[in-house]
Amino acid sequence: MAHIQDLLTAIGLEPDRAQMFNMSAAMASAFVTVAQEMTERIARLGPNPLRGPLDTLTDSERGE
Amino acid sequence: MIVAEQKSLDEIKSLIGDAERVLVVGCGTCVTVCFAGGAREAAIVAASLRMATKLDGNGKDVTDVTVQRQCEWEYLDEIAEQIEGADLVLSLGCGIGVQAIAEHFPRKWVVPGLNTSFMGLPTEQGVWAERCAACGDCVLGLTGGICPIARCSKSLLNGPCGGSEGGHCEINPDIPCAWQLIYDRLSALGKLDLLMAIQPPKNWKTSRDGGPRKIVRDDLRLGAEEE
Amino acid sequence: MAESQASTGNSYLAGSNLERLLRRGHFAVTGELGPPQSADGTVIRQKAALLKGCCDAVNITDNQTAIVRMSSIGAGTIVVQEGLEPIIQMTCRDRNRLAIQADLLGAYALGMRNVLCLSGDHQSFGNHPTAKNVFDIDSIQLVHMVAGMRDKRIFECGEEFKGQEPRFFVGAAAAPFADPVAYRPYRLAKKIKAGANFIQTQLIYDIDAFGVFMEKVRTLGLHEQTYILAGVGPLKSPGMARYMKNNVPGLLVPDALIDRMVQAGAAWDKPQDELTKEDKRARSAAWKDEGIKICIELVQQIRQIEGVAGVHIMAIEWEEAVRPIADGAGLLPRPVIDEPVA
Repeated sequence: MAHIQDLLTAIGLEPDRAQMFNMSAAMASAFVTVAQEMTERIARLGPNPLRGPLDTLTDSERGE
Repeated sequence: MIVAEQKSLDEIKSLIGDAERVLVVGCGTCVTVCFAGGAREAAIVAASLRMATKLDGNGKDVTDVTVQRQCEWEYLDEIAEQIEGADLVLSLGCGIGVQAIAEHFPRKWVVPGLNTSFMGLPTEQGVWAERCAACGDCVLGLTGGICPIARCSKSLLNGPCGGSEGGHCEINPDIPCAWQLIYDRLSALGKLDLLMAIQPPKNWKTSRDGGPRKIVRDDLRLGAEEE
Repeated sequence: MAESQASTGNSYLAGSNLERLLRRGHFAVTGELGPPQSADGTVIRQKAALLKGCCDAVNITDNQTAIVRMSSIGAGTIVVQEGLEPIIQMTCRDRNRLAIQADLLGAYALGMRNVLCLSGDHQSFGNHPTAKNVFDIDSIQLVHMVAGMRDKRIFECGEEFKGQEPRFFVGAAAAPFADPVAYRPYRLAKKIKAGANFIQTQLIYDIDAFGVFMEKVRTLGLHEQTYILAGVGPLKSPGMARYMKNNVPGLLVPDALIDRMVQAGAAWDKPQDELTKEDKRARSAAWKDEGIKICIELVQQIRQIEGVAGVHIMAIEWEEAVRPIADGAGLLPRPVIDEPVA
């Protein structure tokens, strides 16, 4: 994960955009907590600067 | 295997310069198994470059392809068309792969994406260590299969210097003392007498010191009979 | 052999003062002189003045700890001019076999007669850690090469000298307590077999451990094939003693000696910030006195060990300490041999 965050930094993106949380399927409240935390964090960081109109994206950027 | 490490994205970006169409070429042999320049790493480097150059305001056309071995012409022939279509080739092969591409495609600009580090092996998951210096005149038969040329910081041939302590080399506690390893192994195998003989100065001519090296096997050369 | 000094009827290998004293059975004293990190020759002259008369010969270090300093042969030339005998240290780190031989030819022509052959501290410890090292040959191969230049009158490649061959008294180092400890006497044997005429050891503080090493040396008969000079050096402070014990490979410093150093400064045992400048100076002087006292005792104990032919006093950047140590140990005045040198 540290490697991915370093890579994001090198690319020029905020490393906080990616984070890994470990939990079991039974940890519903923990899941909600981190989902909210992540949503707030992303909202604070703003839109992905790479996101343009969809037609300018390559397949891999669209995740296909 | 040949062990390599990726250069930083910043350095790679500066090596690419103003080229618009970039082909990242991975290699399916040594650098794949040391997770530096295989198909997976080639795809990640290509995607990273697309994103990074786009953020810089000049998105480049970066694609990737991986061949079985960059150091053999026939594998490079398979991607000749893609190479010709690119402004620049970023090789994620070792230094041999980069040069093979340059040699095979004389008109194409090729840059390295890796630093070729050494010849070694993975001692555990995620850890690689040097084992051979390719000196061209193997001494492992005298040292119980542990190389003092590659593994002793001073490449000593006649036993440990005074900097051997608690099994490690004084220059770094992470480096085992090669001569302690040799001593222990010869001791365990009852061959300590090998350490009593004075080894003469080494013939470094077979190493890089003799100039660039080449091996010619007439028994294998095509058309050798006619010569 | 016509041009060789070996044929002049003089049975000495090199005829250096050190060799002549050792051959006559005198307990030898060598010292150490570290050249400056500058081109200032006066530093060498000042240090030579401090050491002259209390050492039979002095080691001139060769970029010691891989820090660039005036060359050992350059500094050695000044030492010769000052009437003190140098022991040129030659490491394998910075020179290949061509450069080493060339430098030794020059050193001999400039009047130097002793060489100490070392592998050399790795450059990663010094002030040019990004440098490429050489290590073309190792210390044992170097000993063999220098002895061969003298005894066989050949270069390393086997070619014979056409003119004067360099005739050096050849020395090597021994680290009795470095690992693997069991191998150390045998490695010493190898250096002697390669041609080492004298040996200087790493600093000895643990007399018992050194005694064990020397016992093995005697069992192997090594003390009869070479002259062994035990390395000693004065401690400057308890901190230095602890540092050497914990950080320098192959150095054993008994706790009893560290305690003695601590005791020597006990009168000033209060928090650092309560000590005045004068206090610190007085404490340092007390430590140094104790360090010299310990060193004298070590020399006296070492002298009792069979097979030890002398001491090598290492007081780098504290050359003033050598005279009181040699004097205190009853080693002064140094014997002077009046006989024609061939």
